[in-house]
Amino acid sequence: MSADIKNDGDSKPASADATVSLPATGIATVERKEPPPEKEADTRRRTWIVISFWLIAVFIGLPIWWNTTTIYRANLPLTQMTDWADGKACEPVFPLRIALDVGSLPEQEAQNLLRLTQHALDDLNDFSGHHLRLQLAQAPAETITPVRDDSNVALTIRLAPGDAAHTASSSLHPHLPILDVQYPPNSLPTANSPSSGLATYIATQLESTFAEEQNIISYLLETSSITPEHKPKGISQEVVDTVSKRMTRSLKYSQTYHLTFSLFTNGPVPSSWDIEAAIDEYLKPVLDMLKPIHDFTIDTQVQLYAAPGVQSQVLGKEDLSSFINAAEWPLSPSIGGAPTVNFIVYIGNQTIGVPSETSPGETSQSWMIPQWGSVYLLAPPAEATHVSSETLKQPILTFTSHLLTLLGTPQSGSLPMRLSTLARIRSADLLLRAASSLGSLARLTLALPSISIPSNVADGVVKTIHHLEFACASLGGAQSLEHARIAEAEAERAFFEKSMVGQLYFPDEHKVAVYLPLLGPIGVPLVMGLLNEIKAWKNRRSQKLKAA
Amino acid sequence: MKLHLATLLLAPLLTVVAGLHTSNWAVLVGTSRFWFNYRHLANVLSMYRTVKRLGIPDSQIILMLPDDMACNPRNAFPGTVYSNSDRAVDLYGDNIEVDYRGYEVTVENFIRLLTDRVGEEMPRSKRLLTDDRSNIFVYMTGHGGNEFLKFQDAEEIGAPDLADAFEQMWEKKRYHEILFMIDTCQANTMYSKLYSPNIIATGSSELDQSSYSHHADNDVGVAVIDRYTYYNLEFLESEVRDTSSKKTIGDLFDSYSYEKIHSHAGVRYDLFKGGADAARSRLLTDFFGNVQNVEIDGTRNTTMIDDELISLSKTIARLSELAREEELAAAHNESNNAAKPAPQPQKVQVTKPLTDDNWWTKKLVGATALAGCAALWGLGSYFESSV
Repeated sequence: MSADIKNDGDSKPASADATVSLPATGIATVERKEPPPEKEADTRRRTWIVISFWLIAVFIGLPIWWNTTTIYRANLPLTQMTDWADGKACEPVFPLRIALDVGSLPEQEAQNLLRLTQHALDDLNDFSGHHLRLQLAQAPAETITPVRDDSNVALTIRLAPGDAAHTASSSLHPHLPILDVQYPPNSLPTANSPSSGLATYIATQLESTFAEEQNIISYLLETSSITPEHKPKGISQEVVDTVSKRMTRSLKYSQTYHLTFSLFTNGPVPSSWDIEAAIDEYLKPVLDMLKPIHDFTIDTQVQLYAAPGVQSQVLGKEDLSSFINAAEWPLSPSIGGAPTVNFIVYIGNQTIGVPSETSPGETSQSWMIPQWGSVYLLAPPAEATHVSSETLKQPILTFTSHLLTLLGTPQSGSLPMRLSTLARIRSADLLLRAASSLGSLARLTLALPSISIPSNVADGVVKTIHHLEFACASLGGAQSLEHARIAEAEAERAFFEKSMVGQLYFPDEHKVAVYLPLLGPIGVPLVMGLLNEIKAWKNRRSQKLKAA
Repeated sequence: MKLHLATLLLAPLLTVVAGLHTSNWAVLVGTSRFWFNYRHLANVLSMYRTVKRLGIPDSQIILMLPDDMACNPRNAFPGTVYSNSDRAVDLYGDNIEVDYRGYEVTVENFIRLLTDRVGEEMPRSKRLLTDDRSNIFVYMTGHGGNEFLKFQDAEEIGAPDLADAFEQMWEKKRYHEILFMIDTCQANTMYSKLYSPNIIATGSSELDQSSYSHHADNDVGVAVIDRYTYYNLEFLESEVRDTSSKKTIGDLFDSYSYEKIHSHAGVRYDLFKGGADAARSRLLTDFFGNVQNVEIDGTRNTTMIDDELISLSKTIARLSELAREEELAAAHNESNNAAKPAPQPQKVQVTKPLTDDNWWTKKLVGATALAGCAALWGLGSYFESSV
């Protein structure tokens, strides 16, 4: 063996200094004593050792490495998800059943009227997503309770013959979803007439009753992720603008809302208020009424010496938005998981300097902050230390109507109609949101190939689709809200799955930096051992050949 | 902006204006620890003060501070942080709400914040609860390099990760528009990988350029602010005095110059809908200020209607209660009827494992392991005896 000593002369610039490099064969003249030849058994054992190390590395090491470093990606039904998002999986149609209670009219005439009214309705309505379908009422209207509409009847029309001299008139029943129509007896259509004044009248009335709902639902469809061919046509910009303003004002749907009532005073008094009594008296009925759609939790607080964000005596329009002293007032939104709606009664002597539009003489005392809550300015009460329940009546009633607005309740129609409309709007909204979440998740899965997708995301997606199918099938009915709610919650949970985070991107330098120190010390002896073995085997073979 | 809105509120055009965005959020992130990085925390706190001054409430500001300079023993002015050697404004004043502090400031938490992939236990005040109508101002500062920003000397966020996080936000409709601002060495590389729409990005320095500090306070003993942030703040303090300011993003970006910042500040408009022109014409208050489109009520003559509403809702609630009872009774009857003909067979309760997935597999693995051990033992004793 000869040692080849070299003093990296290549990297140095060529110089005249040649004394550094020694002649390569300087020491090779001395005869070396060789070790005794290896025993056959030792060689064989070494071969086995090298082979077994390699076997362990390949058959245990590699699979473990592969298993622990691959990203688990559950299979998601991507096409189905995209179909939902594009609106292909579900035609968002709201078939609203309208019952026609004709009273004492004979069957034949009733059928005739029904047919003509339906015809008139179809002519009026060009939006296929929201379809009003008439049917004859089975039972008298009084027995239908407002909230429990198993029959899925959205509205009952109660016909009653009225004065012959007057034209037809109608009014909405205050407690029940009933439209009372008084008609002059002579306006009933004859058997073969192609049209009828009464039918047209009823159709127009229905159309106007449901106009707001139709606008909102077309707006929801318009702004959703579904593809243009599934969208309603002919929605005017004006409608979009008004509805969009209303929708941005209202809170995002949540099953539970947390209501916080706060009394802030600018001085030491008043320090107590009859809020419980006032809430029971003026707010509770409305909350009870909303129960099928939302749950509410309530808490109250009192804070003295609370300085508002604006000190001026008369508050201008721009002062109102900075009136809330977000820094100092304890309006922490972090109670529970439900979104908080804030209602603030502020006792001080500030007034609003913006004349109201309806009656310019007076000024208003309250204002609403979209998606947040509302504020009511109250003059200091006569009884200095205590705010009585009567004093709170006006504030709480104001808050009640604000709450309805913040929840997105439509503004026209009788209360039961507004409620059932709210339920339908919310289920459409949730349905579209869940569908668009599915679409987002599908696109994300394709766009980020290195993100892990745990199996519960796939579960969530399957559940979402399952409930979406139910919700879609029962749109307009009582069950759809419940299903849409579950679908939306599941879709959100799947999208926001906690373990789908992590650093997704590792630069190649990082990989080298991680693997080299690990694999270097292991890899070098492994590879060298293998090479030596191969060399030795070749040697043996050539010797054997020579011997033969 | 408020005045602007107020005047427009009376105009019929309001809805178009209000339709743009309905809430403003700010995510302010400092990423360096230790006393000699005082300036980075001062940068963040100055931005915090600015957005708060322009009306964004604490609940909509996410502030990430990795270290507590105010209480650092080396601070000659305990309890305060200054970003200027004149020490006029204490940035650590009375009202400061730090959402993520110390070791909570990690890349993972930052990405979780943006994508809202957080656990149930995370309070709402630490979450970015934005929607498709929210404008977000994202400000980051620290030590960085080519396409990365170091977090706490321990880890780093890469530009592709940041871009993916923004993309996930966009997919889930978590923002309307984003202004991304970063002050670090080679900052412009951090936004080079972004690909989601509606983002305006700006950074302090190009590839291979350092971002420099502005000046040091000799009593504090370290540099107190970075140049890029300093000149941003100078512009915001002098030109955007309140939310009614009409200064645009373009005005701010035009104020950058190499002479002032000592590096080439970069801007990126191409992701924004409408390109450079639209992006440049956005008001600064669209991102630094807060919109609150309050609605004032009419006067107090609504009592009558409300009384009616109350009595009405009472009736309706009672009716629905009745209906529910009826339903319950019906269900009860049905279940009674159903229960009678087919009495449930008594079941003996067996201890149930907490989870029943792979129960048998687990049993099998356990049994095999035991058997293997026994076999080994047996084999060992066999060899022992045979020797």
